[in-house]
Amino acid sequence: MELKKFTRLTMLLSLSVVLNIFESFIPLFNGFIPGLKLGLANSIVLMVLYLFSFKDAIYISILRVFMVGILRIGLFSVTFCFSLGGAILSVISMALAKKYTKLSIIGVSIVGSIMHSIGQILVAIIILKTYNIIYYLPWLLIFSIPTGIFIGVISKELVKYFEKRLKLL
Amino acid sequence: MNKSDFKLIGIIVIVFLIIMLGFRLFEKKGEKVARVYYQNEMVLEIDLSDKSYREYNVNGYNGNVLIISENGKVRVKEEISPLHLCSKQGWIDSSYETIVCLPNKIIIKIETSQDLDAIVR
Repeated sequence: MELKKFTRLTMLLSLSVVLNIFESFIPLFNGFIPGLKLGLANSIVLMVLYLFSFKDAIYISILRVFMVGILRIGLFSVTFCFSLGGAILSVISMALAKKYTKLSIIGVSIVGSIMHSIGQILVAIIILKTYNIIYYLPWLLIFSIPTGIFIGVISKELVKYFEKRLKLL
Repeated sequence: MNKSDFKLIGIIVIVFLIIMLGFRLFEKKGEKVARVYYQNEMVLEIDLSDKSYREYNVNGYNGNVLIISENGKVRVKEEISPLHLCSKQGWIDSSYETIVCLPNKIIIKIETSQDLDAIVR
């Protein structure tokens, strides 16, 4: 990997770690649905997916989970496994949505947000051995529309902004 | 946003409504009990047909968890955890609802007294 690209990706990775930690300080419908959050870090993953490649996006998103794991939630803790499951499913489905559908970046962001919830719930069912958690799924689904649109709009602006700058550098 | 984005949103809303309707239709009838699990082992069974106010203390991973039940509903009142998510969740009363208290490794499920425990290993 050339040095320039490597440096840029590393900076984006640290940015997504910071965003991930930062958003855990924003209470969103506090406690009404466990696991509901904005997903600010997803805007970085989306941007990498559009400006770099799928491979880079999956690196960023998995490394982010590991770094947040080390810094905050503890490596291989239960919450860590939830995040990892959600992140992997979300980045793969976003790449597929980008390649095979006509969705704009906002639609792709909504897909990522939904798949993140589904991934987390699947992991939760496996770890906690209870199916009742599926009850949260419809709520996470419906809230993924506003959060997905929000993140999608941010990513759209980010892509527009960096498309020009990255060539200049 | 383009056309397919709106289609996607439409599909999500429809799926949401179908799932919610499904939950309403398939809610189990019968005597409800709330079962409290600590590390996947049942430690307490609360009969929800008894409507009076009751308090239960269960040992969680971080210490005592205070569970209360009244009017066929159950909730976590006090527990030791960083975010207090399970006490903020409040009352649950239907058979598809769960309170998950990850820091304390406690799960409260509402089940009907008929279904015998297939989940506990």
